[in-house]
Amino acid sequence: MAANSSVQFTELDFDNIKTNLKTFLQSQDTLKDYNYEGSALSVLLDVLAYNTQYQAFYLNQVANEMFLDSALQRSSVVSHAKLLNYTPKSAIAPAATVNVTVNQVSDSSLTLPAYTNFLSESVDGTNYNFLTVTDTTVNVVANTATFNNVTIKEGTYATSTFTVDKSTNPKYTFQIPNANVDTTTIQVKVQQSLSNTSYVVYNLASNYLTLGPTDNVYFLQEGLTGYYEIYFGDGILGSQLTDGNVVKVSYLVTNGSAAAGANSFVLMDSISGYSNTITNSITYASHGGDKESIDSIKYQAPKSFSAQNRAVTKNDYITLIQQNKLGINFDAVNVWGGEENNPPVYGQVFVCLKPSGSYTLTQTQKKLIVDQVIKPVSVLTVTPTIVDPDYTYIQLTVNVYYDPALTTLTSAQIQTGVSGAISNFAKSSLNTFNSNFNAYDLLSAVQKYDTSIITSEYTMQLQKKFYPILTNTETYNLYYNTPLERGILLSGVNSSPAMQFRDPSNLSNILEGVYLQEVPTTTSGISSISVTNPGFNYKATPIVTILGDGTGASAHAVIVNGSISSIVVDNPGSGYTSAIVNITNASNDTIGSGGAASVTLTGQIGTIETYYYSSAGVKTILNSNAGTIDYTNGIITLNNFGPYNIDNPLGQLTVSVKPTTSIISSTYDGIITVDPFDSNAIIVNVIAKKSR
Amino acid sequence: MANITKVFSDIDLTFTRKPAGGDIALSYDSQAVIRSVRNLIQTNHYERLFNPDLGSSISSLLFENISPLTGAILEREIQNVIENYEPRAKVSSVVATPDYDHNGYNVAITFFIQNLTSPTTISVILQRNR
Repeated sequence: MAANSSVQFTELDFDNIKTNLKTFLQSQDTLKDYNYEGSALSVLLDVLAYNTQYQAFYLNQVANEMFLDSALQRSSVVSHAKLLNYTPKSAIAPAATVNVTVNQVSDSSLTLPAYTNFLSESVDGTNYNFLTVTDTTVNVVANTATFNNVTIKEGTYATSTFTVDKSTNPKYTFQIPNANVDTTTIQVKVQQSLSNTSYVVYNLASNYLTLGPTDNVYFLQEGLTGYYEIYFGDGILGSQLTDGNVVKVSYLVTNGSAAAGANSFVLMDSISGYSNTITNSITYASHGGDKESIDSIKYQAPKSFSAQNRAVTKNDYITLIQQNKLGINFDAVNVWGGEENNPPVYGQVFVCLKPSGSYTLTQTQKKLIVDQVIKPVSVLTVTPTIVDPDYTYIQLTVNVYYDPALTTLTSAQIQTGVSGAISNFAKSSLNTFNSNFNAYDLLSAVQKYDTSIITSEYTMQLQKKFYPILTNTETYNLYYNTPLERGILLSGVNSSPAMQFRDPSNLSNILEGVYLQEVPTTTSGISSISVTNPGFNYKATPIVTILGDGTGASAHAVIVNGSISSIVVDNPGSGYTSAIVNITNASNDTIGSGGAASVTLTGQIGTIETYYYSSAGVKTILNSNAGTIDYTNGIITLNNFGPYNIDNPLGQLTVSVKPTTSIISSTYDGIITVDPFDSNAIIVNVIAKKSR
Repeated sequence: MANITKVFSDIDLTFTRKPAGGDIALSYDSQAVIRSVRNLIQTNHYERLFNPDLGSSISSLLFENISPLTGAILEREIQNVIENYEPRAKVSSVVATPDYDHNGYNVAITFFIQNLTSPTTISVILQRNR
């Protein structure tokens, strides 16, 4: 018979396996008809090859599912994650804050019970149900009960009841029969028995090291079917249940992120019989999330394991915060040590968080993150500090040239489509820390939208949005983190919406329609003075005089060991096209000499002024020195800025500038984004043009 | 005496035992080719794994009305399957004669086997079988 050397075991494909068997048969001459399809031998080879392929395919599948990297089935991935002590995140209900006022109350106090229903405004065509999650009691004042800052969460309230029976459920595992449960809202009560209704509250086990036989805890896991399961202790790690106990599990069933953005709510239930109620929303529904995907589990589980529930390295912090059990989802998390700050702050860790569906966290949420997520596992002497992301908004105007002969789309459809393509581009490549915006990627995204687009161009403004304090004057620094373009004839800086200022000459008079602008000059002040000769023997600080065609510049020298080490510009002045520095000895110094310096005029600093149009329609400057603009570093400073009012319901002021580069990068706490709530953030102009 | 060299050798699908030694019976040369032709004719399309083209549609044709026309289609089917899948047999003629009394066809397949000078003829009665 044949030599075994001609058998190969590496093939998984039917035809290749059959070819291998034929090759094997070539080395013998008892059975020769293997090559003829009609032969009985060929039928046998088919069966053998099929069986081999079947087994090989099955084994390949099994092998794939054995590893976290290659597993495809959710149950396998979840099971591998379990070995890494990682529980996949459930859907998270979006939460909103409302104030509820109940009128005509005759009691002395009133309770807004947990699970009171609210109905949201329509979000993408659906009205969502929101619920309170805890009882709130307030005293009634003048027949009115006011519940402030009540948190309501999207979802429906559900309860599952299980009776403990060791014979049918020896592991005390109970499945929550709903795939969309928000596990952060689970409350577990164990009732003594069906007849004895006294109960004990069980909490989610967190630290297994300190767990004892009497601790009333439950454990949470995702089961093989994709539903969450809770299970209980064995009498050693956590207290054990006994037969006849009744486990009551209550939770919210949510639609995940679908209801995020809802901002108007109507109370659906009466409160203790009172139905004369008013609901005002304070913050819109945000922080919701969908059930964790397979890819996300594969990504997060090993990182959670490497953090070992300790916050030491940067990635430990990021992983812990991403996996918080407070029900807050984050689009982006960045962490850095204070020593990287300018100036350095030692002993602190800076954590910058971009929550899903909103711009910043509330003070309460920040405190929760620090106290419940970071502090319990961080190094003792390191203080975590949460900072809000510094948003820089990009406002884009895109001109698109397209050939109508090459498409069936109308110009309006192209306009909508391109606008959508740009906002998708912004969502996928911006919106996070350490990201880059560049013109090539933007125009590629536009070009890819339709083949009829011949060419496109864009102009860009960078915007900072902030809320000026209206009651008193403050200094504001707006950091654009990129070099800014100098206005030559027209101002490169503009603001919206209109502001109101008190008339400085008559404080009771309110000036309407006030805006910011840059002083469009071609010359400017002194940027820096560099020492060309430090001189010697200076006993006192010499006098520095700046001479030139401008006015107002002043500087002082710094003397170290009798020589000029540097000259500091105190006031850049304005209107200089050329300047020199005179260094003269102080009146009590007769021997110091030799010092010399030169002036650098880079036009680095510009001036910001406020203006309005008078009743006669004349453009009038209100304050010719409202602030400064540092072109090189991209900083606008508004000094003693105190508008009377801002024509915007939120009181938000937007200051727009033009950058000199088309590549905009974000840093530690910076996020570049295209504002999804601003209808003017993306302006698309479509122009028809023949391509040839 | 020199060993007679067998050109073709195949196992027998009846899996009978050789009287001597009890080994499985083999068929050789013309017998092997005739077996192969029989196998091909009796195989329906989609019966062989990963090879749906192999086979003929004879079993469905036998359920058609008996007529010389169906007989002609039958002849064409048989000829095609042998030409496509049995390179050792050069078909010289296939004749299907309707046998109205027995609801079947008398089929005579004549072909030349490589290395043999005289033609081989298989005569079979094809009847539907349910």
